[in-house]
Order: sequence, then C-alpha cells, then structure tokens
Amino acid sequence: MTLNKRKIMDKIMLGIISALAIASAIPIFSIIINVYSEGARHITLNFLIDLPPPPIGGKGGGIGPALVGSLILISLTLLIGGSIGFFTGLYLSEFSHTRLARYTQMFLQIMVEFPTIIVGLFAYAILVAPLKRFNALAGAIALSIVIIPYVALNVREAYKSIPYTLKEAAFSLGVSAPIAYLRILLSAARRGILTALLIGMAKAAGETAPLLLTILGTTFTYFGGIDQPINAIPLLIYNFALSPYEKWHQVAWGATAVLLTIMLTIFVISRLMVREAKI
Amino acid sequence: MISSEKIFSIFLIVFASTSLLIVVGIVISLVANSYPIFMRDGPSFIFKSVWNPVKEDYGILPALLGTLISSAIAISISMPLAISLAIFSAEIAPKSIRGFINSISDLMASLPSVIYGLWGLYVLAPILNQYIMTPLHQYLGFIPLFSTKPIPTNLFTAGILLAIMITPFSSSIIREAYSAVPYHLKEAAYSLGMTRWEVIRTLLGYIRSAILAGAFLALGRAMGETVAVAMVVGNTFTLPRSLFDMGYTISSLIANQFPNAEAYSYMVPALYGGALVLFTIGLVINLAGLYLIRRVVARS
Repeated sequence: MTLNKRKIMDKIMLGIISALAIASAIPIFSIIINVYSEGARHITLNFLIDLPPPPIGGKGGGIGPALVGSLILISLTLLIGGSIGFFTGLYLSEFSHTRLARYTQMFLQIMVEFPTIIVGLFAYAILVAPLKRFNALAGAIALSIVIIPYVALNVREAYKSIPYTLKEAAFSLGVSAPIAYLRILLSAARRGILTALLIGMAKAAGETAPLLLTILGTTFTYFGGIDQPINAIPLLIYNFALSPYEKWHQVAWGATAVLLTIMLTIFVISRLMVREAKI
Repeated sequence: MISSEKIFSIFLIVFASTSLLIVVGIVISLVANSYPIFMRDGPSFIFKSVWNPVKEDYGILPALLGTLISSAIAISISMPLAISLAIFSAEIAPKSIRGFINSISDLMASLPSVIYGLWGLYVLAPILNQYIMTPLHQYLGFIPLFSTKPIPTNLFTAGILLAIMITPFSSSIIREAYSAVPYHLKEAAYSLGMTRWEVIRTLLGYIRSAILAGAFLALGRAMGETVAVAMVVGNTFTLPRSLFDMGYTISSLIANQFPNAEAYSYMVPALYGGALVLFTIGLVINLAGLYLIRRVVARS
C-alpha cells in the first residue's frame, strides 16, 4: 500500500473505532434519561412509604413494603456476607502462601461468574424447601453468597496495598495479631475495605434473580419476621413490569428511579473514596 | 495454652473455607435435586423439546438453544464494541476525558440487570422492532434467520440487550491488557513508521489472549443472565426457527417456571437439571477465560 492509502485507512479505522465506542455508551444515557423522565415524577414521600396501589381502581400508592424489605435484606446481607467476605479477604491477603488460600482464591473467581439464579436454587434447596415457606433469611443467604467473592477479593486488595513497613511497625508494637489486623491495619486500609463493602451493598441492592426463588415477594405487608416472605425493590420492578396492569407499570418506573438513584449514589461515593485514597 | 495468634488464624481459616463449602454445596444441591429427572429420562432430557407438566414430560432443548442463540448474538455484537471502547479509552480519546469514559463503562457494568430489563422491555424492544427487525424481515425475510414476522420481545432483542450489558465488562478486561503492553513495544512500532491504526492492530495481536479471555468471560455472563433476558425474550417454549422467534433461555425458564414447579412431581428436578447443564457449560467457559487471563498475567 502507498503511504497515502495507509493514511486514509488510518483515518477510516480510527473513525470506526471512535464511532463504535461512542455507540456502546449510548444505552447508559438512554437508560438514565428514560428512567428519570418516566419515574421521577412518581417519587414523593408517600410513594416511598405507602402500600402499592390495587391493580385496578384506587389512587397513588407506593413501594413501602419493597423498600422496607430491601433495607432489611441489604442489612442482613452485609452482616452475613460482608463479614464472611471480609475475613476471607483478610486470610487471602495475609496467608496468601497457603494451599487453602490458593484454592479459595480460585473458587471465589469461579463464584463471581456463577449465574445468580443458581445461587437462588441453592438457597431454595437449603432454606426454603425444608421450611416449606419462602422467607427473608433464604434471600439474605442467597445475596450473601452473591456478594462474598466481591467483598473478599476487594478486601484482599485493600490489605495487600498496605505498605510492608507499616505492617512491620504494627507488629513491632508487640500487640496480638487480631489487634494488629483489626484495629491498627484496619484503619490503614479502611477506604479500600469500605469500597469493598459498598460494592457488596450495590450488588445486594440490585440483584434480582435469586430473590425470585427465595423471598417470593409480598405485595401488601411490610415485614412479618425473617422466616416469612418479604419483598424487595428489584423484585417489585420485575413483577410489576411484567404484570398486565398499566398502573403497576408506572409503579415499576418509579421504583426503578429509586433504585437507580441508590446505585448512582453508591457509585459516586465509591469513586470519590478511591480517588482520595490514591492521593 | 493456645496463643491468640493461633485462635485468630483458625478463626480466619473457618471463614476462608466457607467459600469452598458453598461451591461444593451448590454442586451437590444441583446434582441431588436433578437426580430424579436424569434417572428417569437419561440424556434425552437435554435433547428433546417438550414441556408438559400435566404429563410430567420435560426436555429442555428449546431453552438450551435459546441460551446458545441469544448469547451468540450478544457476543458477536459486543466484541467489536468492547474492543473499540477499550482502544478508544486507552489510545484515542483525549487524556482528560479517559477517566470519565472509564467511569461510564464501570457504571454500565455495575447497573442491576432488572434496570436493563425494564429499559429493554419498554424502550429498546419497540425501537429494535420498528427500525431493525421489521425492515430485516421485510427485505431479507427469505433468509431463514429472519423468516418470522417479528414482535418486540424475542431472542434477537434478548441478544442485543445482553450485548449492551456485557460490552463494558469485556471492554475493561481488554483495556487493562492493552494498557499493560510494554511501552517499548509501542515505541518500536511507531519507529517503524507505522500509522496509529497499524500500531493498534499490532498491539491487538499482542494481547489476543486477553481479548479471547474477555470474550469467554462475557459469554459466561450472557449465558447466565436471568431477569433482563426473562423480561425481553418472550418466554415461549417452542424450538426457535429464526432469530425473531419468541423463546426461552435456561435461566429465564427457571425464573418463569419455578414459582409453580412444586405443584408437579418432576418439574423441580427438571429445572435443577437445566441449572446443572447451564452450570456445567458456564464453568467450562469461565475456566477457559480464567486460564487465559492467568496466562496474560504470567507473561506481563
């Protein structure tokens, strides 16, 4: 090829790459615009606390039970999955030479890629079928399994990023390992650890598939105990969007605007933390 | 006396073992719960096309094909986009907006699939139907792939939605590998008088195992994705004859049928059987992807 042809080829290919790159980002803008233009007008204080409207007749209505359910599920998940993930990550960072650490690391990487519906089937088998009842705890366990690998792998990075000199300094104080890791070094790695938990929280807030098989999704009750069915915002969106009722579609859009706001907030906070941590 | 160090490390070992137990538990629960259907029907359960709860007759072939078709559409559309996005943010875009582009891409990767599903159902599906599927059917309907008269929710829509969802994911893998290419290689390429595109093409060749890894891992995601697909795939149990047929995927079949499965004696085992098939395919694909990534990391 002559130089001219190569230069033209260069321009064309760079143009195609840029166009494709921009095209691949269009959906996110379309999603944000559509969700807020359809959903934002529904969000009022009453929308956040009221029961959903009946499918036909009645006015207004909200997502109260689903919001309460989501808050309970997220708290339980952070408690169970967050702590398992945290200590697993700490082990992976500090005992990385052991065979158990190598296997755990590999299994966590496989777990990240698990279809989450399979996690739901597992939680169904161990907690729903024996109790013969859909329940909040099964949902929280399923969500915990989903977030463990994310939390563990990020906590591992957080502890690994602590400079070796700082670790030596902590241990030279003569304190025991738990105090060195959980009091002194925890504060050195706190941003990374908080980011890990935020990522886990975002997963727990948005994950839907395992909830279909575990919590069932109540419509008109808020909370009846962790051994009872419960609702969650993503599950409500799924159920209402696929229902034949126009009014429920509107509630689904409103709930999506709420969920998107939660996601964007978590995303921005974790970005800011990572940026500050780097300075 | 046992020292506190010892207790602490035992404590950590217990937590680290949990993930091993979970993975083993998941495999056991899939095998144990699908055992009845495989004992009764053998492999024909995978290769026949029937879903008749009344007669307790189940075969998941249409859902398996649906999974393969929708994820094949997804991966073939998303790879050019993912590679372009990675190169654009690592090489072409002005340095000042690269951080922004990466943020957008990470945000897309972390958005819950139910939001994609709702948007796909009410925004994407009608657009695809009007501007892409209907014209394709009208003008190229003689090709079997486009032979069904399209309605908005079908395998094609599911494939496109999946492509949108997995693009940022494989893109970030490719981007990392691309940025990790030793700088002297790039300099050497430019010093030969190559144009920018020729340098990019050379570097893409250098990181081809990372690109393949991104494709494998994204394919695994596409096959396992549940709710977004369940919202746009049509949920109809027939053998697909064209891309525009409504269909099922294994995961959307589970999502859709599980709530009433307990009423029948073999439907729960059948759905666990489907999950076992999905799990096995996904595991092979993901292990291949992880192996390729490890090779890339080992080299750099």
